[in-house]
Amino acid sequence: MRNLFQLVGLIFLGSMANEATSQVRRVVIYDDAVTELRTPPPSTQSKDLWVTLAELTRATGFVVKPQGVCRNELCFPLPKQRKADFLEQRGKVTWFNLSEFARLVKQPVAHEEKLAAWCFGPRPEAQNGYLATLEAPNFTLPDRSGKLHSLSSFRGKKVLLITWASW
Amino acid sequence: MPGWQTFYHELKDKNFEIVSVAQDTGGVKDASPWIEKANPEYTVLIDEQHLVTKLYSMVNVPTAVWINEQGKIVRPNEVAFVDDQFKSYTHMDSGPYLDAIRDWVAKGESSSFTLSEEELRKRLTPVSPDRLMADVEFSLAEYLYHAGHGPEAIPHFKEAQRLAPDNWNYKRQAWLLSDADRDYGTNFTKEVQKLNGKPYYPPRQMPEPSNKPN
Repeated sequence: MRNLFQLVGLIFLGSMANEATSQVRRVVIYDDAVTELRTPPPSTQSKDLWVTLAELTRATGFVVKPQGVCRNELCFPLPKQRKADFLEQRGKVTWFNLSEFARLVKQPVAHEEKLAAWCFGPRPEAQNGYLATLEAPNFTLPDRSGKLHSLSSFRGKKVLLITWASW
Repeated sequence: MPGWQTFYHELKDKNFEIVSVAQDTGGVKDASPWIEKANPEYTVLIDEQHLVTKLYSMVNVPTAVWINEQGKIVRPNEVAFVDDQFKSYTHMDSGPYLDAIRDWVAKGESSSFTLSEEELRKRLTPVSPDRLMADVEFSLAEYLYHAGHGPEAIPHFKEAQRLAPDNWNYKRQAWLLSDADRDYGTNFTKEVQKLNGKPYYPPRQMPEPSNKPN
């Protein structure tokens, strides 16, 4: 993840250098993954994050389908009366309001306006899902040599999970 | 960490693992010196994004969770020191805690230290909307910090701290990344003094060890 951050940092700084001629590239952090958007934002008064359908899928994995906004088995129908709050056709491009979608599914969002960065957190059901089963939430993280380990790979053993920090 | 290595060595042949996770935005650079010094045999992972803090709603380090063979939580978040070096903060002896782990490793679910589902549900509560918002502000701040925008990260770290005032991880990590007094108007020592005798770590709710494990 460090490399990813560094790479994104370089792209980010690179885009800052071009600011005189073009706008700051927008950045979306979704499920802890960072995506830089290539298209400039549509001209709008709203502070909401409008993305193209291709960008939606690239940044979040969600796809707009007739039955709703879907990812794998998960599908969120858009309220019929309010479709225009989510989707807008401009010329050949269909824009999707990711901020409005976050409000619909009750996802927390943090925004840094000056640097055009948005960070989306887990839906409350996703965060609290483990309370139903009492199953320890799984994670996959590197050791110091970069090798990835998942908590779930220790199934069959008792595990003492301990956090610590250098600070 | 050397203490945990000794403890792990004692129990590792009893189907027991330690998974130790560093909550460090500075990643390998910050965590490695500690790992190298102790050179533990158990698994040590680096968590730059504080994912475990968020997933398990932790507020402090060190925090431990007991997980059984089926991957279920049998004791949730509590302070876990292997020695008494920081007893002035914990006001607790580490010995009974280590004995409790030994008891669990020996007896499994029949250990009196594992919790019933009812008790687990009492202790594990859904996170508040504020805490979810704090997590996402912290994630954004970390991203900005890594992208070379340290000054722009500070208001987001502060917002995370405001929304989750009991989360020491979010305070201490942010303070370390800049000059705490200059940028946050405080520091760890001052904040601990403000506790005014209130415990820095929530006390463990644990029965007295009745008899030593076999």
